Amino acid sequence: MIPETLKTSLEARIASAITAREAAVDVMKELQAHYGWLTDEAVAEAAALLGLSPLQVEELATFYEMIYRRPVGKKVIHVCDSISCWCADCDKIIQHLKDKLGVGLGGTTADGMFTLLPCCCMGMCGDSPAMSVGGVPYGRLTPELVDEILEAERHKV
Amino acid sequence: MPKLIIDDIPVEVAPGTSVLEAARSVGITIPHFCYHPALAIAAACRLCAVKLLDGPVKGIQMSCALPAQDGMVVSTTDPEALKMRSLVIEWLMLNHPHDCPICDEGGECLLQDFTIAGGHSRRRYQGKKRTFQNQYLGEGIHHEMNRCIECYRCVRFYQDYAGGTDFGVMGSAGRVYFGRFQEGPLESPFSGNLVDICPTGVFTDKTGRFRARYWDYQFAPSICQHCSVGCNTSPQNFQRETIKIVGRRNDQVNGWFICDRARFDKAYLNDPQRPRDPRLDGATCGYDVAVDAAAKSITEFVRRNGAGALAFVGSPRLSLEGMILLAQLARAAGGARLSYYGDPDQQQGSVAAAKLLHEENTAYVREIEQAQWVALHALDLMEEGPMLALAVRKAFLAGAQIFLVDGDPIPARNIPPFKYTAVESLDQVPFEGGGKGVIICGCGKKDPELLAQIASSGAKLVMLQPGANGFAAALLTIEHAASPLTELVASGQVKGVVCFEADVPDGLLSQVEVLASADWRRGPVHDKSPIFLPTTTWVESDGTAINCEGRAQRFERSRVAGLPLRGLDPKYYGSATEAVTLHPPRLHRKEVPGGAERDAWQVMAQLIERLGGEPVEPLSGKWRALKSLDPEGEGVRIFEMGLGE
Ligand code: SF4
Ligand code: SF4
Ligand code: FES
Ligand code: FES
Repeated sequence: MIPETLKTSLEARIASAITAREAAVDVMKELQAHYGWLTDEAVAEAAALLGLSPLQVEELATFYEMIYRRPVGKKVIHVCDSISCWCADCDKIIQHLKDKLGVGLGGTTADGMFTLLPCCCMGMCGDSPAMSVGGVPYGRLTPELVDEILEAERHKV
Repeated sequence: MPKLIIDDIPVEVAPGTSVLEAARSVGITIPHFCYHPALAIAAACRLCAVKLLDGPVKGIQMSCALPAQDGMVVSTTDPEALKMRSLVIEWLMLNHPHDCPICDEGGECLLQDFTIAGGHSRRRYQGKKRTFQNQYLGEGIHHEMNRCIECYRCVRFYQDYAGGTDFGVMGSAGRVYFGRFQEGPLESPFSGNLVDICPTGVFTDKTGRFRARYWDYQFAPSICQHCSVGCNTSPQNFQRETIKIVGRRNDQVNGWFICDRARFDKAYLNDPQRPRDPRLDGATCGYDVAVDAAAKSITEFVRRNGAGALAFVGSPRLSLEGMILLAQLARAAGGARLSYYGDPDQQQGSVAAAKLLHEENTAYVREIEQAQWVALHALDLMEEGPMLALAVRKAFLAGAQIFLVDGDPIPARNIPPFKYTAVESLDQVPFEGGGKGVIICGCGKKDPELLAQIASSGAKLVMLQPGANGFAAALLTIEHAASPLTELVASGQVKGVVCFEADVPDGLLSQVEVLASADWRRGPVHDKSPIFLPTTTWVESDGTAINCEGRAQRFERSRVAGLPLRGLDPKYYGSATEAVTLHPPRLHRKEVPGGAERDAWQVMAQLIERLGGEPVEPLSGKWRALKSLDPEGEGVRIFEMGLGE
């Protein structure tokens, strides 16, 4: 159940869109922020708010890689594995992340801090290899830099 | 009209025609998966590549998404196009489980056909295949996602075309999944079309799985008998059992699709309890013995009570042929009474509609699709003419306003796939451009005055009949001044009845003597009748049906009459102990078990002869023109033949 205030603000967001579907991503992101991930309950709530069926919300939710339909850690790491980053040996970075965090792709660290996900091009090709941690972008990664970033992100609130 | 050259053949097509369709018009089938004539173009599968050698566009192009243009020179056989198609099909097949032998689609599978036609015959891929969990989608459809090639036909049909919201596409990239949010029965009353539209075996008809292969089936063009829309179908039969029913294209009626009632509601055809043996006084007898007895009983009754006390009773379930002969039979019996309807209100409405409709005011399905507004007059459309709801939806999507006039609230299971405004009377419907508006109503039980008022509106009309062949019943009722059975009995005129596929209203049976009855199903009439003559259903007979817009359509026998081999009683195995088996009986016999049934009109013809009448041909006289009706054509509206009067 979402609080009344959130509900009201989402309704206003939807009312200002030309079609309700257009506001779907915003609504999902807000609900995700509220629950920590987009729960089944949140999908149903989004559907009710948007006048769509849960399936139609699920279609969108599962398309976008930053909508999480399973529980995730406090910060999600999106590490790019698209062409430019691949040329810049992102495989090494990904391997390093796995080793360092002790999880595979899709896994969440035991302390619940990080979830590691591959992603497609983030538009940071010029600074490849690239990743984002909790929404903050980082480029020109090296294993050493990754260690520093993880350390810093772990302590940043 | 663009003129182009395809594989050295000059082609001229209507503007907007795709190169794929243009090629098809001269007999060249370019392999394709995502393209379907009824759906919007997706160009998702990339299989339909051709090479343009010259003209306004050059190089490899997707022929489904490329409108034909003047001066194009197209090659469907260019090595580069061939290579492209074979690589695309190889790629689409990467994850496919190659399980055709255990797939019910095998033999009627577009994927099989176009994999071969596309030039992919050897698997090179050695990697792991992606696999999916299937979902339970209800009792109609089986789900097997691993066979999916991501053509998006299913979701384009289900959501865009049919307006369903509970089935769609989820995920992205290699994880694209077609299904529901959670397992459960598909909600759309058109869900069965997924079976026909999916080019592979992702969706197969659960009600007929693993019974036979395509080449085992007997089938023939048929007409759905569930309502008066008259959609075209093709029942697929195996060993005297209707295994599946699929949609058959008729652009004037149902397009490519049918509703789930037409597809899945078929158990009654195969019912081993169907009364299959002729009976005389409770005992099984030969067919001719029963016909003789019926003729004798009729003669006796007429001698005792006069022909006016006898009624021949039919129903809108009869074929046109049966209805015509019923009238002749009444005449041969010395001028007996005639009835096609039990209930006066139904007859009155049905007849009023047939009188009011003519070529100019009767809507074509296309006119519904293109209407500016559609008014449903006190109508539950999903009950009375489901497929028309898809035509109304097209109009709705194109911006038409839809009204439900004076209607009861529509039950949740029958919510139509479009939005509508409920209003109290037709006056509230904005009539500007009346010619581009369509009023749809049911006519059974409607007051003729109301129907006349609706007809005088100037809008195009659809008046759904109270039975699949109600329009024909109305025409015959008018021609022969037939009366509703209730009235004939209530007025005390009629004391005896002979019933042909008649549904006699409750309570009437106790007031009349039933001399004989003929039907393919069991009912109170059957139980009361001393003489019983089993008849064939529409799958086992040839006939003509006239739909609600007066369109005469021919259906053909698609299997012989008789008990389905499956579940055949052990007695037919010459052994009371042999387990019921799917193997044909090992006993030699000439007759098909339970195969004594005859078409109702043929039984009538025999009775007419027994009563001293001339041998008769149902489609003669004014009906002669219908004799040459092409079962695979679009049918003809009878108005054109002056039969509507
Ligand atoms: S399920 Fe069938 S129709 Fe749907 S995308 Fe897959 S192959 Fe195409
Ligand atoms: S709309 Fe009527 S005629 Fe058409 S398929 Fe459905 S039940 Fe049959
Ligand atoms: S390819 Fe990685 S950011 Fe563009
Ligand atoms: S049929 Fe043309 S791209 Fe699929």
